[in-house]
Order: sequence, then C-alpha cells, then structure tokens
Amino acid sequence: MSAGLYTELLDLACGTFLLTAVLVLWLRELAAIVRVFALQGVALAAIAVLLGAHEQRWDLAGVGLGVGVLRAGVLPYLMRRALAGAAADRGSEEVRETQPLVNVAASLLTAALLTLLAYAVARPLTQLNPTPATRALPVGLAVVLIGFFVLVTRRRALAQVVGFLLLDNGITATAFLATSGVPLIVELGVSFDVLLAVLVLQILTTRMREAFGTTDIDDLRELHD
Amino acid sequence: MSVIPAALASATGLGGVGALAGIGLPDRLRVPAVGVVTAGVGVTGGAAGVAALGGSRWAADYAGLVPLAGAHLAVDALAGLFMAVAGAVVTAVAVYGIGYAAGLGGHGLGSRTAQAVLPLFALSLLLVPVAASVSTFLLLWELMALGSLPLVLPEHRERSAVRQAGVWYAVMTHLGLMLLLAGFALFAARAGGETFTALRTGAPGMSPTLRAVVFVLVASAFLSKAGAVPLHAWLPRAYPEAPGPVSALMSATMVNLGIYGLVRTGLDLLDGGPAWWWLGLLAVGGCSAVYGVLQAAMASDLKRLVAYSSSENMGLVLIGVGASGLFASHGDRPLAALALAAALLHVVNHAAFKALLFCAAGSVQRSTGLRDLDRLGGLRSRMPLTAAFFALAALGAVALPPGNGFISEWLLLQSLIHGLAVHGIAVAVVLPLSVALIALSAGIAAAVFVKALGVGFFARPRDARAASAREAPAPMLAGMALLAAGLMALAVVPGLLGGGLDRAVGAVGLPGSGALTGGGLKVRLADISAQLSPLWVVAALTVAILLAVALPRLYGRRRRRVNARLWDCGGGAPTPRMAYTATSFAEPLQRVFDDVLAPEQDVDVTPVRESAYLVERVRFQHRVPDRIEHRLYEPVLRGLARAGRAARRLAGGSVHLYLGYGFAGLVVLLSALAVGW
Repeated sequence: MSAGLYTELLDLACGTFLLTAVLVLWLRELAAIVRVFALQGVALAAIAVLLGAHEQRWDLAGVGLGVGVLRAGVLPYLMRRALAGAAADRGSEEVRETQPLVNVAASLLTAALLTLLAYAVARPLTQLNPTPATRALPVGLAVVLIGFFVLVTRRRALAQVVGFLLLDNGITATAFLATSGVPLIVELGVSFDVLLAVLVLQILTTRMREAFGTTDIDDLRELHD
Repeated sequence: MSVIPAALASATGLGGVGALAGIGLPDRLRVPAVGVVTAGVGVTGGAAGVAALGGSRWAADYAGLVPLAGAHLAVDALAGLFMAVAGAVVTAVAVYGIGYAAGLGGHGLGSRTAQAVLPLFALSLLLVPVAASVSTFLLLWELMALGSLPLVLPEHRERSAVRQAGVWYAVMTHLGLMLLLAGFALFAARAGGETFTALRTGAPGMSPTLRAVVFVLVASAFLSKAGAVPLHAWLPRAYPEAPGPVSALMSATMVNLGIYGLVRTGLDLLDGGPAWWWLGLLAVGGCSAVYGVLQAAMASDLKRLVAYSSSENMGLVLIGVGASGLFASHGDRPLAALALAAALLHVVNHAAFKALLFCAAGSVQRSTGLRDLDRLGGLRSRMPLTAAFFALAALGAVALPPGNGFISEWLLLQSLIHGLAVHGIAVAVVLPLSVALIALSAGIAAAVFVKALGVGFFARPRDARAASAREAPAPMLAGMALLAAGLMALAVVPGLLGGGLDRAVGAVGLPGSGALTGGGLKVRLADISAQLSPLWVVAALTVAILLAVALPRLYGRRRRRVNARLWDCGGGAPTPRMAYTATSFAEPLQRVFDDVLAPEQDVDVTPVRESAYLVERVRFQHRVPDRIEHRLYEPVLRGLARAGRAARRLAGGSVHLYLGYGFAGLVVLLSALAVGW
C-alpha cells in the first residue's frame, strides 16, 4: 500500500468517524442513531486495520477486526433489541429523542466548537511527531467530547448509552492513533468492560421502563438524598 | 549493647500480640489477656524510656519499613522522659483496665474492637517520641489519634453524648493533623530533608518569616492536642465520655505528647526563636490555667471537672515552656533550663495524679453509674480505698505541700521570679503576671478539689445508686495502688528523677539545671539560693498533724460524750437534700467570676389559669456554658452549616446536572490547556 493511499484511506476513515458522531447529535430517531453508531464502529475498525496494515502488525489488524465485530455488530444488535422492546411496549413515543435538553441546531454548533477545542488541545501532541496518524489524533478527542455532550443533553436512556459508547469509541480511537494500538490484553479488557456496561445499562433501561413507564432519565430526579 | 532496641522491639511485638488476642480470644479470656499484654507493652516501653533517661542513646533507620521515606527512629533523654511516663501510666492503667472491663462481657470497653485497639494505642503512645523523621512522626501520631478514637466510643450505645464527643474529638484531632502536616511539610521542604537531623541543620538557614509560619502552624496543632484554651473544646467532651482507663491514658499520656512536640519542634528542631513566640505561648498557658480551673470549679460532672483540670495543668506546663524559650531568646540559658525542667517535672507529676484521678473517677462511675457530683456523696464509707486514692491524687493536684504538684509548681515559680533579672519590658510585665496567674489557678484548684472530694466522697449520698456503691474489684485497686506508689515517690523523693531530668533538658541543647539533686532528698537550685526538701516537709507535716491530734487527747479536758440529735430548728431531721451540693459550693466563686463565666439563668413561671397571681409551677434552669466555645466555635459551626446548606443546592438530583458538572469541568480544563499552550 503506497503512502499516499494509506493517508487518503486513513483520513477517510477518521472523517467518517467524526461525521458519524455529529450525525448522532443531528438525528432524532433512535433506530437511525443506532445505525449511525454501527457505521462508526466500522470506521473505528477501519482505522485500526489500516494502521495495522501500514505498520505490518497483524495483531493490530486482528484487534481492529475484533473491535469492529463488537462495536458494529454486537452492541448495535443489543441496542436494537432494547429498542424493539420499548417500541412494543409504548409505541412511537419511546423510539424518538423528542426533547433534548439542547436543541439540534445548538448541538451541532457546540459539536463544531468542541472539535475546534480538540484540535487546539491536541496541537502540541501533533507537533511532537507529525505523521498521518497523529495528525488525525484530534478526531479521537473530538469524539470523546461529543460523546460526553450527548450524555449531558439527551434524555432517553438509549441515547445515553450511545453517548457513553461514543465516548468509549473516542478513547479507543485516540489510543490507536496516538500509540499505534494498545496491547491486546488491555483492548480485550476494555471491550469486555464496555460490553458488560451496555448489558447493565440495558437491564437498567428495562427496569426504568417497568417502574416509570418511560426511559427519560430526568424522571430519576426524585431518587436523590 | 543498649537495652533500648530490645525493649522497643519487645514492646512492638507485645502490642501486636495484644491486638491479635483482642480480636481472637473469647469474651472470658480476652480482657485479662489483653490487660496483661498491654501492661507488658508499658513495662518494656517504659524500660526503654528509663534507659534513655539514664544516658544511653539509640538511633536507627529502617529504609523498607515506610514506603518511599523509610522509618527513622532515635531515642534521646527528652524522648526517654515521655516514654518512661507513658510506660508507667500504661502499665498501671492496663492492670486497672482488667478490673474495669471484666464483667462487661462483649460490651463497652470489653468489646472485641476496643480490646484489640487498646494495646496498639498504648504502643503508639510509647512510640511517638521515638520518631526521628517527619513522615515517621506523622505516621505514629496519626496511629495514636486513630487508636484513641474507637476507645472513646465504646459506650456509645448507652449515651448519645458519646457519639457527639467522638465527632468533636475526631474533627479537632484531624484539623490538628492537617496543621501539623502543613507546618512540617513546609519545614522539611525548606530545610532540605525530612529527618530531624536534616531539619536541625537546615533550620538556621531559613528566613525568620518562614520559621515563624512553621512554628505557629505546628504549635497550634500541638496546643490543640495538649488541650490548651482556646483549642480545648474536644477535651471536656471526650474525657468524660470515654471509659475510665481510656480517659486516664489519654489525659495522662496523650496530652503530654502535645508538650513533647512543642518542646521538640520549638526548642530543639527550630532551636528557639524570637521572644514573641514564647510570649504567645505564655499567654496561651496563662489563659488555659485560669480558664481551665474556673471551668473545673463550675463543673458538677466529676470527670468533666478532672478533664478541665488537665487544661489547667497543661497551661502551667506551657507557662514553663514559654518562659524557657523566653529566657533562651534573651540569652539566659541556665534559667531557661530551670524553667524547662520545671515544666517537664510538672508533666511527670500531672501524669501521675491525673491518671489516678481519672482511675478513681472511673471506678466511681463504674460502681454507681453516676458522674454528677450533685447526686454522689457518701462514697468514703462505701468505697474507702477509692476515696483514699482520690484524696491522694487531689493532694497532688492542688499544689500544696506534701503533694507532688507542689514541687514542680514551686520550681516553676522560682524560675519565673528569678527571671526578673532578665532585661526587657515584656519580661518585666509578663513574668509577674504569670506568677499571679499561677497563684490564682493554684488557689482555685484547691477549691475545685475540696469540692470534688468533699461533696463527692464525704457528704451524705443523695442518690440511691450512690448509697449502694460497692468498692472496686481487686485489679482496679491494684492499678490505682501502683499509681499511688509512683505519686508518693514523686512527692517525697523527686531527686531520684534529677539526673534524668537534667539529661532531658540537655537534649534540647540547654545546660543541665541541677534542679533536683541531693540524693533524691533535696531540691536545690544551683544558681539561685533556694532549697526545698520534700522529705523534711512531709516529715514536719506528719509530726505537726500527729501533735495536733495527740495533744488535745493527752491534755484536753476529758468530757463525757453526749449522743444527742442535731438541733434542727424544729424542722425535722436534716435530709441529704439540705447538704451542700457541688453547684452550691461553687456558687460564690461563680459570683466572683461572673463576667468571665457568663452563667445563663432561665426562670419559667406558669401561673394558674384563673389568676395571674397564683403560680402553678416555677421552673428554674441554670447553667455555666463554656463561653469560649459559645463565642468562638458556634459562629464557625453555624457558618459551615450555612455553607453546607448552600452547597446542597448544587446537587439538584438530575443526572444530567451531574454529568454536566463533569463535562463543564473537562471543557474548562481543556480550554485552559489550549490557551495556556
């Protein structure tokens, strides 16, 4: 693979990675959000595989494939199942993020600001060793920040789960881009952790729906103290 | 081959064994086993202290014992003095504690936690003076604080006040630790090392402001541990609520370590300082002495009275330490040595009589369940030995001749009076004032202990529980007898301590004072023409008392004894309710010091419904609150509570809000980084 092609492909993967995060903010249908999230998983896997192919490290490519299976396959499947349960229970109200705390236009604007912030913060890191991979590093940071923003502003429990997973995707991408991949055992541990977290959150969502009839987490307000 | 390392190693081993025994043994065996092992800790630790007082020194570093810093240990005569005192008190109190906790089963002081912590607390009391680096010292200091807390709390099921006392104690002791940490960290950073040797060499090179900051921080922490006014608020709460042996241990050894820290840091590590440090210490000491004894005079709770008397005695010690530093800063080193020797001797004496007082008070409480002097009484006939021990200790505490407290206070007064030879206006004003304050506190102390002894032990019982009191069990009496023996030795032959005391004073770089010499029989001051022979004082007093008793018997007119009823003005036989109570005894004093004490009175009259002139009920309430607490602590506590209530608004309960805090924090941090680069 020539250097030019590698850079083009890596930039494409990173661009898709960032764009999907922004799309999560833009979309309201939870089913569409899950689809976008799966696409982001594919982009993340592509980043890892590209890096592995470029550096001739096939274990990295293997990790990338594993990450792809988990984030583009297993996690979206789990979320779709939870969504189907909600839709069967309550109809259309539960499958849309109807009233985010910050409206869509302002969210997109904020995403732009957060991306700027990520680029500003990552500048000294990029200057240390300007390769195509490190130049794409701010994308990972930007996705971390956008994921956090989703967590803060979205009401539906499933949107929260997606926010959490965006944050984790961002962290994984940053790890790949900055250090050319973490050791296999660490990546395995993190992936397993994420899987467990999603399972727990799914159970929590189901319980919430049974208790309150909705998955709007602002209804948990009465539990404090 | 020195005995010190062997003794310290066996004390540490015994402490560990005691803790294991406290956890592992069943209820019946636990208390005696732990008591014996704890007494062993006291004996071995005290032996190390005595060896150090005898002139041997020891130092060792164990690099692997504490992570990063390593443990640095050193024993000199100053440390030895405090270890010997702690060892002696721990031994006696451990024996006493066997009797105290026996029969409690798994409750109170007999519980698994309390018995497991007791040997460790005793060990930490012995080991704090051994530390020779900042990290080791703070580690052991914190171990002592943590060890004492569960021991204050065993009776929390019986009284809610115990819990409150525990909170006060925990908060104040940890605030002290924070001050100590800040002061020592600053000191170590600027002196270029954290071992005491490095601090000693680095201290002279530090700027005066920095030295002053270090001294003020560290001294505040140590003063709060010593229970000096106004940092005493934990003391009258924790001591009365702790079980008898624990309050004896805390008041007789733990407060001493505050003095140890002050002397070690102020006079040894910082090697003295400007006069204002010591004038401040004198002021704190004077306030503590008078305020403590006044509050003791007003207290009607027996253990609270004894606790406030600790504040008073620590005040006297602080006057001694302050005077010593003041003299040293004016260049009069022999006089400084004398003042410090007086202060250290008072530490020893206070430990002896205070441990015995708390043990006796504890046995009264254990036997009757009462601490209120207004309800006690008549204990002399029901608990004769306890009453005798209390009387002996009270004699030490009132600083009258033949008591042991008299000797150290006399030394202190001598050093202050002769300090007038030192030039300087501050000295000329402060020293006579200190003398007056000491005299005042000694006078009130006499009233305090006459009240405690007279009302509590001699008067008629005012409560059924006091009337049916039973003498304490044998181990408690044995423990008190040990303390009483030490007390009498200190009163009659204080000279036995002479060489050790000189070496302890010498350890901070002052010349030996030679205050206690003459084969243990005399107190002679080397540079000053003053002399006191305690043994002769005791002999003369004994002869005088014998004469006073015998002469009227021999030569007085023998009259027939008539057994008749007391004249009762026709009002019927006097009941115990007519006798003096502790409150009524203290009332004249309270009138005299009305402005200082600010007592609160509350009269509540409920008239009959039909007529405003006919009274159905009158309720009279009278209390003497701790005024410093009222004025100093309550505003702070109110402010904290207000801040806490305001802060609760931040926690609205919405998950989004909490996530938002995290997000905002992250974004602000990243922006700061981005702008900063």
